[in-house]
Amino acid sequence: MPVMLRSSNCVLSGKSPAEMSKLNECPMDPGGYFIVKGVEKVVLIQEQLSKNRMIVDTDVGRKGTVVCSVTSSTHERKSKTDVIVKHEKYYLKHNSFSEDIPVAIVFKAMGFESEQEFVQMIGSEEEVLGAVAPCLEECHKAGVFTQLQALKHIGNRIRQRRMWGGPKKTKVDEARDVLHGVVLAHVPVTEWNFKLKAVYLALMVRRVIQAQCGLVRGDDRDYYGNKRLELAGSLISLLFEDLFKKFNAELKKIADLTIPKPRAAQFDIVKHMRQDQITNGLVHAISSGNWTIKRFKMDRAGVTQVLSRLSYISALGMMTRISSQFEKTRKVSGPRSLQPSQWGMLCPSDTPEGEACGLVKNLALMTHITTDHDEAPIVRLAFNLGVEDIQLLSGAEITSKYVYMVFLNGNILGVIRNYKRLVSTFRLMRRAGYINEFVSICPNHAHRCVYISSDAGRVCRPYIIVNKGRPLVTSKHIQELSQGFRCFEDFLKEGLVEYLDVNEENDCMISLYEKEITMATTHLEIEPFTILGVCAGLIPYPHHNQSPRNTYQCAMGKQAMGTIGYNQRNRIDTLMYLLCYPQAPLVKSKTIELIHFDKLPAGQNATVAVMSYSGYDIEDALVINKASLDRGFGRCLVYRKQQCTMKRYANQTFDKVMGPMVDATTRKPVWRHSALDTDGICAPGEKIENKQVFVNKWMPTVTMSPLSSTDQDKQPEYREVPISYKGPEPSFIEKVMISSNPEEAFLIKILLRQTRRPEIGDKFSSRHGQKGVCGLIVPQADMPFSDTGICPDIIMNPHGYPSRMTVGKLMELLGSKAGVLDGKFHYGTAFGGDKVVDLSADLIRHGYNYLGKDYVTSGITGEPLSAYIYFGPIYYQKLKHMVLDKMHARAKGPRAVLTRQPTEGRSRDGGLRLGEMERDCLIGYGASMLLLERLMISSDAFEVDVCEQCGLLGYLGWCQYCKSSKNVSTLKMPYACKLLFQELLSMNIVPRLSLKRYNEV
Amino acid sequence: MERIKEIRTRVELKEHGLENVHSTDFPGSYDGYDDTWSQEKFEKNFKVEIGRLTADELEFDMIGIDAAIANAFRRILLAEVPTMAIEKVHIYNNTSIIQDEVLAHRLGLIPIKADPRMFEYKQDAEAEPTDTDTIQFELKVKCTRNTHVKDATDPDDLYKNHKVMTSHMKWIPIGNQAQIFKEGEIRPVIDDILIAKLRPGQELDLKLFCVKGIGQDHAKFSPVATASYRLLPEITLLKPVTGKLAHKLKNCFTPGVIEIDNVNGESKARVAHPRKDTCSREVFRHDDLKDLVKLTRVRDHFIFSVESTGILPPEVLVSQAIQVLIAKVREVKRELDVYK
Amino acid sequence: MSSRPNYSNNKGNEADDIDPSKRKITVMPTEGGKEDETCKTFVFNKEDHTLGNSLRYVIMKNPDTQFCGYSIPHPSEDKINFRIQTYGKPAKDVLDKGLNDLNSICSHVLRTFETSVNDHKRRNQSTDVEMRENSVG
Repeated sequence: MPVMLRSSNCVLSGKSPAEMSKLNECPMDPGGYFIVKGVEKVVLIQEQLSKNRMIVDTDVGRKGTVVCSVTSSTHERKSKTDVIVKHEKYYLKHNSFSEDIPVAIVFKAMGFESEQEFVQMIGSEEEVLGAVAPCLEECHKAGVFTQLQALKHIGNRIRQRRMWGGPKKTKVDEARDVLHGVVLAHVPVTEWNFKLKAVYLALMVRRVIQAQCGLVRGDDRDYYGNKRLELAGSLISLLFEDLFKKFNAELKKIADLTIPKPRAAQFDIVKHMRQDQITNGLVHAISSGNWTIKRFKMDRAGVTQVLSRLSYISALGMMTRISSQFEKTRKVSGPRSLQPSQWGMLCPSDTPEGEACGLVKNLALMTHITTDHDEAPIVRLAFNLGVEDIQLLSGAEITSKYVYMVFLNGNILGVIRNYKRLVSTFRLMRRAGYINEFVSICPNHAHRCVYISSDAGRVCRPYIIVNKGRPLVTSKHIQELSQGFRCFEDFLKEGLVEYLDVNEENDCMISLYEKEITMATTHLEIEPFTILGVCAGLIPYPHHNQSPRNTYQCAMGKQAMGTIGYNQRNRIDTLMYLLCYPQAPLVKSKTIELIHFDKLPAGQNATVAVMSYSGYDIEDALVINKASLDRGFGRCLVYRKQQCTMKRYANQTFDKVMGPMVDATTRKPVWRHSALDTDGICAPGEKIENKQVFVNKWMPTVTMSPLSSTDQDKQPEYREVPISYKGPEPSFIEKVMISSNPEEAFLIKILLRQTRRPEIGDKFSSRHGQKGVCGLIVPQADMPFSDTGICPDIIMNPHGYPSRMTVGKLMELLGSKAGVLDGKFHYGTAFGGDKVVDLSADLIRHGYNYLGKDYVTSGITGEPLSAYIYFGPIYYQKLKHMVLDKMHARAKGPRAVLTRQPTEGRSRDGGLRLGEMERDCLIGYGASMLLLERLMISSDAFEVDVCEQCGLLGYLGWCQYCKSSKNVSTLKMPYACKLLFQELLSMNIVPRLSLKRYNEV
Repeated sequence: MERIKEIRTRVELKEHGLENVHSTDFPGSYDGYDDTWSQEKFEKNFKVEIGRLTADELEFDMIGIDAAIANAFRRILLAEVPTMAIEKVHIYNNTSIIQDEVLAHRLGLIPIKADPRMFEYKQDAEAEPTDTDTIQFELKVKCTRNTHVKDATDPDDLYKNHKVMTSHMKWIPIGNQAQIFKEGEIRPVIDDILIAKLRPGQELDLKLFCVKGIGQDHAKFSPVATASYRLLPEITLLKPVTGKLAHKLKNCFTPGVIEIDNVNGESKARVAHPRKDTCSREVFRHDDLKDLVKLTRVRDHFIFSVESTGILPPEVLVSQAIQVLIAKVREVKRELDVYK
Repeated sequence: MSSRPNYSNNKGNEADDIDPSKRKITVMPTEGGKEDETCKTFVFNKEDHTLGNSLRYVIMKNPDTQFCGYSIPHPSEDKINFRIQTYGKPAKDVLDKGLNDLNSICSHVLRTFETSVNDHKRRNQSTDVEMRENSVG
């Protein structure tokens, strides 16, 4: 079975950093992914609406319609039940019914023949009675009075399903079964006692009525308390269950077939177990990302993704990613917008731009996702705390206005009179450790309910408990924590800190800072910056930035080059970008320390002058100091993988690797083979240029037909199939790995390396969503310099600031400058960090201007600049987009076979398309000759012979139709046009060209 | 007239910007001034004062010259005074963690102590090295385990040669270089620059070739860590500053810039050493001091600071830089004469 | 002093080479073809602000100069366009005088600098030599 890395079953669990490095693993690696078929795969966290909860939806479709729906989910099945309003009557809507069933009939079918009984369950208020009356009437009209009649009524409306085996049931039995097991499947029915289900259904009707009257507002689907997150664990367990059941079923089938037959040997079940079925099922699901579970009719694609190892941050960011089930194409703002209930649970900044905006989210720093927890002890505790069992109560007692209904995981437990005592005692028990810390309880006054949840997938986060205006965690505790006498779990055990989920947060008074605590406060936030996620945590002073800038940085931090792990040099990735001299940022944040970004950084501290220079800095372009580049600024390494396999063929022949070809006169390998070692595979350290050969592979010419017995001794013929290098810049061989894959073929993996210094067009970005390309590289002598002789690494245009409003970047510069002068790191933690006044004081102390603006001399004229320049270090990231990978030009080159037009795309050395809009421009401008040249002469011009007589295409001056060459003339047309004519001909359509001399028209 | 003189000779530092940053002393700009170039006048006013001279640092004042020419010297120091630096590295073996190209780049940046005036530019990059244009070094290091040390954790004790330093570089004389240069005359300037780190079993076997070049082509050829200048600051007290304000004023400047005199029992501020000021313009933050002071800088007084990498003494570098400019002028002049 | 190698065009620079890009100085043809000795744009190959700006300053100091300025036409081209307009004298003569003046300035600066250094060294001989030996050793 695939094992999640660093999970309890993984060899890496509980290993110390030293042991990890001995195993060639990076101690900073977060784990949490699977390695399947040699690929690192992450199972994304899936977000979905919580199961087994009533959701009242107002305005579905047209305004004013109210629906109460429940998606029941049990181990066996998943089904959706709705209570809808139609013509002021209430109906039960379910997939297994061919039409909607009036609720009154359902109640009767459940055995509540007395109308008073079930109406009381719905409620005895005036408006309820009024609303229910038409339903009763309808029931009477349908002639349904008894349970049997009701069941018959329902039975006739059951959608016929395929039933295998089993005795044929009557309609009545079928209806009863459906009511028992399919409708509201999660509500237990023991021994045909429908009481609980009836109460549940009654409550659904009641909710609809209340929503109609405007007493209660509909539930918000986007509210995060109504969401559940599915983690890898629950997804894998679902899959496993499915596979295991399939395995058992198959085994049973084999056993049923074989056991009745008389056999000599005893039937050995072990022999019939297919060992790899479950493994293969899991491996296939993880590697393809297709989660198909038949029981739940679940068929999800893209559940897993390849772990992005572009940078450490991108790998971390992937672990916290949550993907939503909503369709990406739908243009609804609700699910995409930031919900207030996501506060502290999900990062408000980290979401992609574009179609997946708001649907893909990321966890905040302290978020915890609950796992399933046993219900039995909670039920026991609830009853002991005075909850009265629903079975013993009549309808009037249940809907009494003096009681609160108690729910556990969506199921009705009972009612309670003094709900306050229940809630507070329950919480005390939880803090004391008698029940699991992740069980949540909260009253809902609108619903007059108390909800207890112990199910999996709720998001929660820890808070410090405040009692009587005093936080329980004191400085003494913190001291002990920093000394290592205590750990976070101790805080939890001692009841100083507790986890609250989204629903329970609503019942708490949480203050953000200690100074804001009042007597009503129940909880204190641990650290405000933890509302941000991993990627947003890198941004210094994010609370001073315009919010989209932080979002941009979250996306860009994942493209920044740097280090990806301590074991990066052992890896052979298809593509890996590393920075030559990565630096820890001068302005760091608490998050950076927590995730060890300072140990695996991705960027460099560049001295930046914010000024205009040379005009090559417009549109966010940067001007870079050449001497800085000479000294290694932004220098990066690009690793690329090349691989080839040595195959064995059906006819016993196999591929072979030959040594380099030797020039006859010089006895040296020919140029194409100059990188090869004597074994025919390129040697590490060798430089390889465009069209040179990595592996001198030869392949047999005949691979399919078996060799005839006569030429057994004859050597099979081979032809050359060299694996050669393609690229404008040469690479170096970093290492060669020879291995074999499961098909017993040799696998040769070659790691190639390029060292690149930044050039014009390479993309850089600061940590504030301010990206820009290098526009000019200037010699150091031309750079402006300050009094102390410092000249900038980067000149940035000040126009980048006013519209972006990235004040955080200005503050980062101050912080870095002050830090550099004092030789220390400053903090730019969100909602905190070092204050600007303090940083200014540091600058003044060192004889600098308090604003960070320096007197600067122009390097060109030698005279001072007439403005003071904002000058100091800013952490810059080099992004993976480099011109070398994108540059493309073509004069002439390959053409597509069918149309004879130039190929498309850089990888095929394609042409640059003159598209429709460009064409429109040329037409509008009347540049007909240019149009002709671009669209025909430079593309697919073709000379055709056309017969003037019949207007058909001829060939070599001869018209086959007229059998004459008399009226054939030659003209040029696009090959695509000629192709069209021929294709039309093949469809029995004759296109005829009528030719005229252009001067005779 | 006072004002015109000030405009001509001073750069004024205001709170939000500078004024009179450009030289304007050209003929015809000012009535009553003769700005025509005169060598005698220049020679009379021009002064060089050496402030501090150590083996690799030089601070001197150049007074009575225009920014255009002073800047030319600065620019030449950075970019056009030649030095020797490692240009080609032949890698015979490199089993260390550091990549060949990165290693070569690091080696290139090492300052090589060798008088560039004794060498010629290599005319053809592909040609065989000769004794007149190339210096050769060898770097052969192998890291081994220190056998008699047990249970140590410090790599310094555990391994031998685990830090490759510039001191490991060995000069290999080409041709008759051994006769021309004494032992120790050609070597890396600093012996303890860390080139790479090794672990047991890893080794480096390299041949390094140094050639002559200039900073314009690559920063490794630049003979200075940095060369820059600043203008002499000048602080004028527009009104006498006394009492508490005087102390406040003193704190607005670099220590030593403002001294406080005791005149008749009252403290009075006096500008003592304006040269020390870093021009932080802190005074302008205080409304009560803002209008009492005027910050200016002398336009033709350059405080040069040259930090040599150690290849050549800084004073030699400056002379070289001036000579480079002379050579440039002569080359253009010669061409111009040919053109005529 | 030997000249720096010229990697871009390895043929060497002969004086009577016809290709203008290889000459140190060329004169840009005047627009309209009318030759005017007083207004000239010289193109200095392989020069930058170092010579351009200092020469500009010296020529501007000449009362015969009406205008003197230079530009780098494109950052990837290693040349400057040096423009001189005079009140009547041939531009070439003004350039020539500028070069001479600059030459004498440099010579004087060099002379003064070296004397100052030597003076300084003599003055601080005892202390300075000590310091230097310490720092070198």
